[in-house]
Amino acid sequence: MPDAATPNPGNAKPFLAAPKPFAPEDEASLREALKRCSPSAFESAVQYRKTGNPEHVPAVVIGIIERFVEPDLRIKLKDADDDLRLIEDLGIDSLTMMEIVILVEDVLQMSINNDELRNLRTVGDVKMFIDCKIRGLALPKPTKFLPIEQIAAVMPIQPPFLFLNEASVSSSGANGKYKISGQELFLQGHFKNNPVMPASIMLEALGQLAVLFLLEGATPEPGKVISSSMIYFTGCEGVRAHRVCRPGDILTLSIKPKRMKMPLATFEGAIRVGQEKAAIAEEITLTFGYAEAVVPPPAPDAVEVNGAATIKPTTPSATPLRAAASA
Amino acid sequence: MPRVFITGLGFITSIGNDAVSVTQSLRELRHGLELYPPFQTPEIPVKVAAPVRGFNTASTDAEDWTFPAGISIKRELLRGMSPHVVYAWCAMQQAIADAKLSEVDVSNDATGLYAASGGSPYLMGHMLERMHKLGVMRCSPLGIVASISGAVQFNLVAHFKIKGSSCGFASACASSSHALGFAYDDLALGRQKRMFVVGAEDGNMDAILPFAGMRALSLSTDPSTASRPFDTGRDGFVGTGGGVVLVLETEDEVLRRGVTPYCEVMGWGQSSDGHNVAISHPEGLGLRAAMTNALRSTGTAPEAIDYINAHATSTPIGDASEARALRAIFEPSGARPAISSTKALTGHGLSLAGAMESGFCALAVRHGFMPGSAHINQLDPECEGLNIIRTTLSQQPKFALNNVSGFGGANVSIVFKQAR
Repeated sequence: MPDAATPNPGNAKPFLAAPKPFAPEDEASLREALKRCSPSAFESAVQYRKTGNPEHVPAVVIGIIERFVEPDLRIKLKDADDDLRLIEDLGIDSLTMMEIVILVEDVLQMSINNDELRNLRTVGDVKMFIDCKIRGLALPKPTKFLPIEQIAAVMPIQPPFLFLNEASVSSSGANGKYKISGQELFLQGHFKNNPVMPASIMLEALGQLAVLFLLEGATPEPGKVISSSMIYFTGCEGVRAHRVCRPGDILTLSIKPKRMKMPLATFEGAIRVGQEKAAIAEEITLTFGYAEAVVPPPAPDAVEVNGAATIKPTTPSATPLRAAASA
Repeated sequence: MPRVFITGLGFITSIGNDAVSVTQSLRELRHGLELYPPFQTPEIPVKVAAPVRGFNTASTDAEDWTFPAGISIKRELLRGMSPHVVYAWCAMQQAIADAKLSEVDVSNDATGLYAASGGSPYLMGHMLERMHKLGVMRCSPLGIVASISGAVQFNLVAHFKIKGSSCGFASACASSSHALGFAYDDLALGRQKRMFVVGAEDGNMDAILPFAGMRALSLSTDPSTASRPFDTGRDGFVGTGGGVVLVLETEDEVLRRGVTPYCEVMGWGQSSDGHNVAISHPEGLGLRAAMTNALRSTGTAPEAIDYINAHATSTPIGDASEARALRAIFEPSGARPAISSTKALTGHGLSLAGAMESGFCALAVRHGFMPGSAHINQLDPECEGLNIIRTTLSQQPKFALNNVSGFGGANVSIVFKQAR
């Protein structure tokens, strides 16, 4: 089999070397395929198929996702941010995900492997994934999900001053949740007989999420490791609180890096409670430094399996094994 | 051994989509046959079928389907369904309401579900065509679940959260009677307290027309006589589909819940022809043995039987074979039970037949009538000596018997008795 000799093209293979001319019968079959999607999804698909311009793709993808979401949940997609989760927020199960994939493949004339789907947890992940496939770019590192145990294991900040219950870190930012339990010590005095989460602590929570991003996300310089003992707060700009947050509220936190250059990293951050805006910070700046040991000692490969690091048995390399298995 | 009763029924059939209209059709001998629109093309020699009414499942895309008013099925459920599963799902809801079962009564370790259907050749064909045309990975993820012959129990067991025994039976036209028989056994043996028995068929072009190849279908163009079991002019069966669900419960459950059963299931018998893959034994030996077994195991004398719902599908060989079997069982004692084939009204429901006609027997016993054998112009001489009733009798059968025969020569007889 001649194909066996060629290296695995991996995820970065461009799918549309040259777009095929778009015939009228293509438009008819596209209309049929997207008949339960919004007219704008269909229009975008036509434009994409005619021009190959990836800018039309997000509207197609969102239109297809919307079509498979139960009608009463579709409202969430209307002004969805990229953090909207497929399973938890939209009720999409793995079988529905397959239906979405089949229609996306059909409409955008691409093919998607099962392996590639596992890391798609949010609407943003899906959009990013399809965009990279179409542009022939390498896929971003998959989003890492960290439960409280893992957060506490990597953070220099510890309970009772850790204001994250769970978090996810991707190459483009980090999201987290914190439920105000009501047991926080400071709520006894803030305020008298009227427990309200201090805005300063909400800002602190955003800062902690930024720290987590520095430790778990992409390093600004390849091969270097940020030291957890060298991250400190330096400043913030444009902080506004929009909503009083009380015990029982679940804070949904998100940060995105704006600039990163040793020794400063600047983020924008926002906190929601449900769909309500609670607080924003236009800029939060942290200072950081690299750990002394720049290159980690040679060790068995660690692979991410469902967010937990496991040690692979020492084999020459995983790739030839896969190739052999599929030959 | 615990006694077993039928406490709930649900019907989606060619003669009515609920127990009330089905009862009325049976009493008044109203048939459900029509010139079936998909057959009205020159290449198709078969013209008549008995489709269920009020459902439009013509599209291969389940989201295009339309249902009678008041029925709506979420996309999440619908995507694993084929037409017969939709019919069974509706019948299941009727049966649960009819038996006055709570959610807890339906979903517990002691409540199971046995089902029978031929699957959905229609959706299977569509899926395979898609696979060959567009590639293996472009098949609907739930195409298999929706189309293979277990589709009906996969869906019902999952959606109604059935926790007890569940499986499907595949003995063609005998299969939903096998389901009922083994459900009875599970209750009589104390393994379960309540069983749902389900029969269902698509009853559309792809489910019916393959039988034309073996010349089993009527070529009649007159819906009012196309299905005429025991008539000399019969020329094959008329296809139908639908879904029927029966609720079987032990006596303890009936008493605990304080419900009035339709009838008692006395027991059943089965036997095989060991003769031909598709043709009944000419002397009806297998069906004879099945009836003998059913009567013996329930301790019922042939002369005790008041009404027999015959399998007779309106095929020349099958009806004659059943007539011989009936004569062999009942003539020696001089018993003359009333006999009819309700397939004259409904058409032949294949895997659905046993559950549907057992449901008819339950209605007959409960409401005190025996439906006539319609559309007989000239009785086949093979039926000489048999009391084949041409009109409905307003008498309550104390004991009723239902026969079915399937491919491979599988035969099942079930005995029902007035509940008291």
